[in-house]
Amino acid sequence: MTATSSRPRDGGGPLTGTGAMVRLALRRDRLRLPIWVLVVVALVPRFYYAATSAVVPTPQALADATRLIRASFMRVLAGPFFGAEAVTTQKYFLAAYWVEFLLAAALMNILLVTRHTRAEEQSGRAELVRAAVVGRPAQLTAALVVAAAGNAVLALLAAVAAGAIGFTAGGALLFGASLAAAGMVFAAVAAVTAQLTEHPRGATGLAGAVLFVAWLLRGAGSLQAEQGGPLFWLSPIGWSQQTRVLAGDRWWPLGLSVLLAALLVAAAYALAGRRDLGAALVAARPGTACAPVWLRSPLALALRLRRAAIVSWAAAFLAVGLVLGGMTGAMSVTDLPIFAGADFGRAWLGLMVFTGSLYTGVHAVLSVLRLRAEEVRGLAGPVLAGPTSRRAWFGSSLLASALAVVALLTVYGVALGAGAALSTGDGRLVAEVAWASLRRVPEVLVLLAVPAALLGLAPRAAGAAAWAVLGCSGFVAVLGAYLRLPGPLVNASVLSHLPWHPLEAAAPVATVVLLGLAAALTGLGLYGLRRRDLSTG
Amino acid sequence: MTPAITVSGLVKTFGPARALDGLDLTVNTGEVHGFLGPNGAGKSTTIRILLGLVRATSGTVRLLGGDPWADAVALHRRLAYVPGDVELWPNLTGGEVIDVLGRLRGGIDERRKRELIERFELDPRKKARTYSKGNRQKVALVSALAADVELLILDEPTSGLDPLMEAVFQQVVAEVKAAGRTVLLSSHILAQVETLADRITIVRDGRAVESGTLARLRHLTRTTIAAETASPVTGLDRLPGVHRARAGAGSVSFSVDAEHLDAAVRHLTTFGIRSLVSHPPTLEELMLRHYETEEAAA
Ligand SMILES: Nc1ncnc2c1ncn2[C@@H]1O[C@H](COP(=O)(O)OP(=O)(O)OP(=O)(O)O)[C@@H](O)[C@H]1O
Ligand SMILES: [Mg+2]
Repeated sequence: MTATSSRPRDGGGPLTGTGAMVRLALRRDRLRLPIWVLVVVALVPRFYYAATSAVVPTPQALADATRLIRASFMRVLAGPFFGAEAVTTQKYFLAAYWVEFLLAAALMNILLVTRHTRAEEQSGRAELVRAAVVGRPAQLTAALVVAAAGNAVLALLAAVAAGAIGFTAGGALLFGASLAAAGMVFAAVAAVTAQLTEHPRGATGLAGAVLFVAWLLRGAGSLQAEQGGPLFWLSPIGWSQQTRVLAGDRWWPLGLSVLLAALLVAAAYALAGRRDLGAALVAARPGTACAPVWLRSPLALALRLRRAAIVSWAAAFLAVGLVLGGMTGAMSVTDLPIFAGADFGRAWLGLMVFTGSLYTGVHAVLSVLRLRAEEVRGLAGPVLAGPTSRRAWFGSSLLASALAVVALLTVYGVALGAGAALSTGDGRLVAEVAWASLRRVPEVLVLLAVPAALLGLAPRAAGAAAWAVLGCSGFVAVLGAYLRLPGPLVNASVLSHLPWHPLEAAAPVATVVLLGLAAALTGLGLYGLRRRDLSTG
Repeated sequence: MTPAITVSGLVKTFGPARALDGLDLTVNTGEVHGFLGPNGAGKSTTIRILLGLVRATSGTVRLLGGDPWADAVALHRRLAYVPGDVELWPNLTGGEVIDVLGRLRGGIDERRKRELIERFELDPRKKARTYSKGNRQKVALVSALAADVELLILDEPTSGLDPLMEAVFQQVVAEVKAAGRTVLLSSHILAQVETLADRITIVRDGRAVESGTLARLRHLTRTTIAAETASPVTGLDRLPGVHRARAGAGSVSFSVDAEHLDAAVRHLTTFGIRSLVSHPPTLEELMLRHYETEEAAA
């Protein structure tokens, strides 16, 4: 502990102990937080380099790129675009990548705040802390203070990075501030969702859903008008973009972010001050006294344990699929060079099918890492001490995760297809999109098999490594072409091998290779698991 | 002197579940108070209310002269708590956790901390992730017992400790008591409470069913007698106040209400006593008796 001993002042203010909690949080996150900030900041020059290689060479290229960025397709993903009259590479950089930075900042804050609030309560550690001289809202306050500090550092470093790639000083500062503002709003969102559910995963999921809606409203608003229509103004992500960095720099939209953050924080405090430690908004209801008859095999147990997660993900996929599919009709066909001659609606659907596969990968990794948590927390012990072999435990858990992957991709594909069919009037899209979604099962199985292999071979590193593989694969697959990444690197990504478009493209060789890889990784995991010691709590 | 803790008519509901149902509890200043009850009786819930972690549904609760919910922070300066299930931050060492918790309480007595670490044979340099259950428990115990506070609230504090460490714990609590501090000790380990507690309260289904000194509670209850006699004992069942009589060839055992003890022993002498063992009711028997009476009433 680097913190110096400090005796809290007398009196019993509700914020007593906040300082100590801040130091504790910084000690716990001494690696995690700097890594987050540095990775986000490092992407500024990296994306800028991509932008220069995309547009710099000739005025003609710049004009093409501008047309691309103004197409409705890109507006939904990255829009809106300010300052189209006099495009520069810096403006192009903002138009193409600003949203990604805002999303990253928001995600960093959601994870950070949940980790220091609801996760502490659920683990039982908060009970020890709260029994000490620590005010009821001190932990929440500390989490927000750490988030604010992290956002301030992020803003400063991002501003420096933006200055280095040729932003004006004012523009660079405003860019940094826009990230911090989005980050702070979502720190506040997470502060509220942490009061609502008993499990940290639920809190993260709810905050993530809010983030997705914010992203969607921003996209829909960008479709309404190039500078952002009414829907756009409903999105906190949009407010950050409305600062119009380098296109008339204005600070006042960030006032909206500050206001919303303040309101949400006030709501979080009101909820936190009233409720019992560890309690959710609604008390847990009693369940059944006996296990149902089907709950008799390791596979059934694995599915039962994952049921709540699978059902909530499926519900989210259903809603998201319908909405994203419903946008298909609005995608106008333009002369985009990269999709020259292609059916634009189908190109959009191809990209969305791929996105679904990426998110299913997130589910798969969570589902497999559950095994590690079961092992460490001693839940695997009683099962393995019975006649269940490690192979049966591991295999049936992975099978349950794999079945969930297939189910989720099906639900998503059908929903996306149905949304598309409704918006375009083309009923064939349902089957076509569902099939395209199912064809991505092999790559998600590889994403699932990576943590499975690590669980056997390097269990302590499994979590971090699995997320790194998923993150890098997604990053490279989505942006590899734009970033002009070297071919071998792109090919190293699990997600680069099944084509996104046209929708009906099949890739039998890649499919077989990916399935083989997934099987091999799983085998490796089982090999390791049968040889290593089990960790105990 | 005002009691350290007074609870009356305490009710706590979790949705439809009624965890506490009119519980009464008084802990006098300077005493060690045993808080006993079967699983799910409501001990931890009561303690969490006393700590202001959970809000009472109804009833009155006073702790060290304050309201545990409204004055939580000020009161926590004067108490320390050890839960039965200790969770620690996995990437901090045990020593770091002890310091963090100590500082959160307003500073820690370094000398006493070192002494306790030694007595509990704890290695403070290990990461919390690698501690066994008992060692996690020791971390919380050291941090709480090293605190200079008036009141210790201990919720099954020795779950997972080995018998040697259990003995160390008993010694330390005896010292704490000698220093004039108040201790609320919840437990299933009856022997632990028997030796330490001045008074005990037994809870069941969210209510206090008995409260008082052990001596008084025993007086209210039955003594168990086992004897060997020269000739087989007869006629025991007809004596008033005798329960669960079991007679074998030349041996007999039964329990008898305090006021009928004299008559029962007199009866035995007529059969020629060879050996006689009598023991006062254990707390198990105290609790069992309550189950029996309630079942009989139901
Ligand atoms: N958060 C909660 N939601 C619903 N019911 C609860 C909750 N906390 C406790 N209970 C219920 O309240 C009752 C009392 O629980 P409590 O933990 O106080 O028992 P206890 O006496 O400490 O038991 P043990 O000796 O097993 O620790 C139990 O029936 C328990 O199921
Ligand atoms: Mg308990």
